Amino acid sequence: MAARKPIFNQQVLVDTTPLPDSVPKVKEVGATSAPLLSASFFIGARCRPYNDDYMQCKTENPGKGELECLKEGRRVTRCAASVVDDINKHCLDEFRKHWQCLDNNNHQLWQCRKDEWKLNKCVFDNLKLEKTIPEAQGIPVHLRSKQIYAHYPALRDPGQAPFKKAVDAPGAEAPAS
Amino acid sequence: MPQDMPPSGASARFSTSETFRRLASSPPLWSSAWAPSASGGFYKLGQGIREQNELAREKMWSRIHLIPLLQAEEDRDLARRHMADQAREEAADGRQLQGLQQRQVRADFPSLLWLFVRPTYAVTPANTTK
Repeated sequence: MAARKPIFNQQVLVDTTPLPDSVPKVKEVGATSAPLLSASFFIGARCRPYNDDYMQCKTENPGKGELECLKEGRRVTRCAASVVDDINKHCLDEFRKHWQCLDNNNHQLWQCRKDEWKLNKCVFDNLKLEKTIPEAQGIPVHLRSKQIYAHYPALRDPGQAPFKKAVDAPGAEAPAS
Repeated sequence: MPQDMPPSGASARFSTSETFRRLASSPPLWSSAWAPSASGGFYKLGQGIREQNELAREKMWSRIHLIPLLQAEEDRDLARRHMADQAREEAADGRQLQGLQQRQVRADFPSLLWLFVRPTYAVTPANTTK
């Protein structure tokens, strides 16, 4: 289905009819772009199997995946919502600082490493979710202590140690849902 | 008519300095100053390009992790509208007009089987505000 909304000449048509009762209800994530970007790698770390399932379903049902893959889509949304809820529960301050920094810096991740390291540490300590960039060359960018393109060369607070890479990668564990 | 010419001996007075003339006439001399500076610049350029590649990879993967979530939400919305349209048509006409239209288009253009045919008409719902 194309993403174009049906727009009439004189009015915008907003259909408020809910899904039929035969389809289980799911609450949407409801986060805006900056919190989603901030949490994206943790969502990927926990929900990779569900995401892959959903994308495979979409690939195998061309043209009708929107109706066939509702179940997989609900799983994807529930898993991502569980990640966002957990981050909100355990690391709310760090999370807020990071996504507000992203909002203030044009969503450029490299401007917010200081806040990102704090968030990564908190999330790894509490949720055992680790940010990994697949196929990264050399030291992954989010672990480098020097950023060529950042506005401010001082990336750490005075006395703040650089974020250490976690020794045991937790991998993609499925949540109980 | 006699043409105006510079006075004789003027070129000697405006000639370039001796140092510049020596530099310009000796490639090894100026390239020894220029080459290290240029290679240093290219080295920095290479570093910058590599870091940009890595930053692009990071951004790409963050989006890859988010796409199923965003697509699932959009799909649910489309499915909700589609089912509501069908229910309205069923109630108004006893048939599912959009389903008929879809099947007709798919029969006419078998190569477009992958395509969801967005309906070109709809029964307007009674309540159109949020």
